[in-house]
Amino acid sequence: MLTVDIKKGFQNNGRQSFLLDVSFTVRQGFTVLFGPSGSGKTTTLRSIAGIVAPDQGKVSLNGQAYFDSSAGLNVPIQRRRVGFVFQEYLLFPHLTAEANVVYGARSGKNREKRKRASELLELFGIGYVRDRYPRELSGGEQQRVALGRAMASDPAVMLLDEPLSAVDVSTRARLLDEFVEIQKRLGVPFVHVTHSPADAIRTGDWIVIMDQGRIAQQGLPLDVFNSPRSLPLARAIGTENVFSGTVIHQSASDGISLLDLQGCRLAAAYNGLVEGTRMTVGIRSEDIIICRERITQTSARNLLPGVVKTLEIEGNKITVAAACGVDFRVSITRQAVDDLDLRPGVTVYLLIKASACHTLA
Amino acid sequence: MIASAFKLSVWVVSLATILVGVSGTAFGFLLAKREFQGKELLDSVLTLPMVLPPTVTGYYLILLLGRSGLLGRYVYQLTGWSVAFTWQAAVIAATVMAFPIMVKSARAAIASVDSRFEVASFSLGKGELETFFRITLPLALRGLIAGLVLSFARALGEFGATLMLAGNIPGKTQTMPLAIYEAFISGDDREAQMLAVILTATSIAVIYITNVLSRPLKSA
Repeated sequence: MLTVDIKKGFQNNGRQSFLLDVSFTVRQGFTVLFGPSGSGKTTTLRSIAGIVAPDQGKVSLNGQAYFDSSAGLNVPIQRRRVGFVFQEYLLFPHLTAEANVVYGARSGKNREKRKRASELLELFGIGYVRDRYPRELSGGEQQRVALGRAMASDPAVMLLDEPLSAVDVSTRARLLDEFVEIQKRLGVPFVHVTHSPADAIRTGDWIVIMDQGRIAQQGLPLDVFNSPRSLPLARAIGTENVFSGTVIHQSASDGISLLDLQGCRLAAAYNGLVEGTRMTVGIRSEDIIICRERITQTSARNLLPGVVKTLEIEGNKITVAAACGVDFRVSITRQAVDDLDLRPGVTVYLLIKASACHTLA
Repeated sequence: MIASAFKLSVWVVSLATILVGVSGTAFGFLLAKREFQGKELLDSVLTLPMVLPPTVTGYYLILLLGRSGLLGRYVYQLTGWSVAFTWQAAVIAATVMAFPIMVKSARAAIASVDSRFEVASFSLGKGELETFFRITLPLALRGLIAGLVLSFARALGEFGATLMLAGNIPGKTQTMPLAIYEAFISGDDREAQMLAVILTATSIAVIYITNVLSRPLKSA
């Protein structure tokens, strides 16, 4: 179990410009540290690893204190049992893929280290890259070698700093699923820093949302995304409606993919995925139209009946939360609220074009 | 005379290159990767022999190491021996003169190694020393070798400081550059020519090797 409770201030021209103040616990499974750029995710991760030192607080892993400002303790990075996967991978360019993984091993004879390295490369499905140098590897391969190298050091927790930012979207989804699989097999908790809602939903057993140096909310990913508790949080995760769903029917000739979102069905633009595939769909809150009556004769492929739950007012922009089996957030103007007499409890119909339903991963 | 000067030069230059390689790399690392007060001042002092006329450096070396020098007097009192006018003096002179080039090259080569690689090594449980020898050094190797080759060339051509501290004793402290001077002064043109050709050929080889090493590799 990893517990983090740290504060760190950053100065700009002698004035405090940013304060990181976070406290959370990582248990088993895949924890996602999510937030916009500059929210302090990476600094938090680096504090856990010992790459940067917080001003005050505590970091401890499985009961062993790594950092404790009150005791003046700051265990150097070499002696923390953390595996760190860097955003840029940082594979040693003068070593082959296998030698990189071997380098990660902390102890054992050379032969044992090499055997372990081979096993890890095989486990990640890249046994064939053994003798290649990092520059001869694709982004996905480098990613997995970096993961193997970190795993070889026998860490008690794995820290992943936006490890997929350099990988294309289709590879990304596959790698994320592999990560989850690998995490389950190895049993070591993973902490994954990302600013992508799709990545967060795909991997997270638990999500910690950061905004401006603080934790805005934590919980199960879909719960957190679909019912943000505060305006800053809504800002942090964007105006995106994000759902996890399954492809239940594909019709290339109609150009439609039918999705089951566990609560409602959604017709999305044809995405070519195999039926039964788990996927993440995003709909921008600006792309949804609210009607008070069930209209017919519309090109929009989705007409979802629902009930208004809340109205969040921020300046002249209003976000309506409507329950239609799953909760949708819809951005509309104040004038629209007045004209439609929208208030909690009224029945509405959401009009969504199939092409506004984006396949995220 | 040519043979003994050649042998002495090879010996002196080899020793000087090894000394310079180790100490220059160590100081280069210090200047590249550590922050401390007076860092740039230290760099300036270490670079001084590159800027000063070699005879001035030689003069300082006498003041420091001569029989009544700042350090030399204690050595003399303890052992009855002084480094002045020995082959060791030629090694010291060559080392001191080549040292700044190595420090400069090593500092640049080591600074060019992305320190995030070192952090990555630390995160894998490796200590400072292991990280230096297994990550930093190999990644800086090409720059270091280039510096070493230039230092070798500088040591080989060393004349002024050697003359001051080691003198010009044939068979004992007379290296090739000194032998050329002597041969020329005494009208032995043939010998001067031969020595000049040997030194020129060596220098061309050195520049060639340096160029090859500093060219980016196509693979590996």
